[in-house]
Amino acid sequence: MNNVCEEQTFSSVFTSYSKTIFNYIYYKYGNEEKANDAVQEAFVKLWENCKKVAPEKAKSYLYTVANNLYLNVLKAEKVRLKHADKHSNSISNESPEFVLEEKEFQKKLDDALNALPENQRTTFLLNRVDGKKYAEIAEIEGVSVKAIEKRMHLALKSLRERIDGI
Amino acid sequence: MQENYLAKWLNGELSEAELSEFKKSEAYVSYMRIIEASKKIEAPEFDVQAALNTFKQREMAAAPKVVPLKPYKQFLRIAAVIAVMLAGSYFYLNTLDNSFTTQLAERTEVTLPDSSELILNADSRVTFSEKKWDKERAVKLQGEAFFKVAKGKKFTVATDMGSVAVLGTQFNVETRDNFFEVTCYEGLVSVTYNGKETKLPAGTSFLVVNNKIQAAEGPKNDTPSWMNNESSFHSIPLQFVLNELERQYNIKVETENVDTNQLFTGTFSNTNLKIALESISTPSQISYKLGEDNVLFYAKNTP
Repeated sequence: MNNVCEEQTFSSVFTSYSKTIFNYIYYKYGNEEKANDAVQEAFVKLWENCKKVAPEKAKSYLYTVANNLYLNVLKAEKVRLKHADKHSNSISNESPEFVLEEKEFQKKLDDALNALPENQRTTFLLNRVDGKKYAEIAEIEGVSVKAIEKRMHLALKSLRERIDGI
Repeated sequence: MQENYLAKWLNGELSEAELSEFKKSEAYVSYMRIIEASKKIEAPEFDVQAALNTFKQREMAAAPKVVPLKPYKQFLRIAAVIAVMLAGSYFYLNTLDNSFTTQLAERTEVTLPDSSELILNADSRVTFSEKKWDKERAVKLQGEAFFKVAKGKKFTVATDMGSVAVLGTQFNVETRDNFFEVTCYEGLVSVTYNGKETKLPAGTSFLVVNNKIQAAEGPKNDTPSWMNNESSFHSIPLQFVLNELERQYNIKVETENVDTNQLFTGTFSNTNLKIALESISTPSQISYKLGEDNVLFYAKNTP
């Protein structure tokens, strides 16, 4: 098997990478509809060229297509992120003040994230939310690992400055 | 502190010294809080299975259209075959000779590539090669035609009976069953019959009837009589006269007790059948009966 034309191979590629593509585009532009479109478009391209793409190359092929899709076309919108209230039910000894403060902090974090340049925000969220290694983010963005480390460092620094009001 | 230490810290890549220094810093608590709060962030929901189903419905259902045989290649293959066939037939047709044919009771005028002209009498056929015309002016003739040849290289008329060669003149060639007549109206015509060449000056004819060369009277006008819608004969067996009548009127001629070898001298009209029939029957002293598309000649004393 040296290409992804086989339906089973293709489906497994889809299952492996579609969520990352969706999140990546969403973190970048804050547009869910476009993120869904990006998944479809990237895989349509892969399907059309399935004979030329080896399974091990499929990932970077998909990232490249997705990356180029809205380049210079789409303007970033506000990214709306959800915050799981993991503790509110299980832990009862939190004071209402604490819960309120938590909520306020989350709001600040959201605002700070939206204020970040898109490449810093994308890197931060892919790493923190999706648990992607710097190397993989570098592959998605098509830049070096060092560049991703720089983005991560700057992202964290900017977030703190904004939240702490420095 | 090393470059991008915040990124290194998250990745657990700080040395112990660096880490303890970082932990003492004022900002550490803030960073910790940000990282803690980030753990609760969730991406928008994305249903992988639903997306895959959407994709399969849209793309893979139409798979035969997308993946298989390259239809373009198939098309090219067919197009190539058609192109070869077209080119082939073009060259083949190009090498074919031009040909003109007249049916019974028909006449046509043909202009040759060097603007020489020929007029085909009824039931005749002329062929020539336009491609080779510059090399040799040659036509093949069956039946009868009058030629007006433009001055130039040798012009040849090949017939089953013999060939006629000229340089630029006007002449008439007639070949019918057992009948071959060449009449020169202008210039000089060379007739080769049975390997023997005869020079034919203007105003003379060369006549072969039933494989015998006959003394022939020269033409009375400057064009053959058939060009003026008449058929003229001078001491020609009646059979040939009747054959010509058949050709001019597309009519079936039958005879009963008539000597078709008797010689006929005279002219019949090519446009008026009644007059033509009179012109033939009266001097030959025979009678005729005209049907719808046939005519019967019979001896006067038989009913």
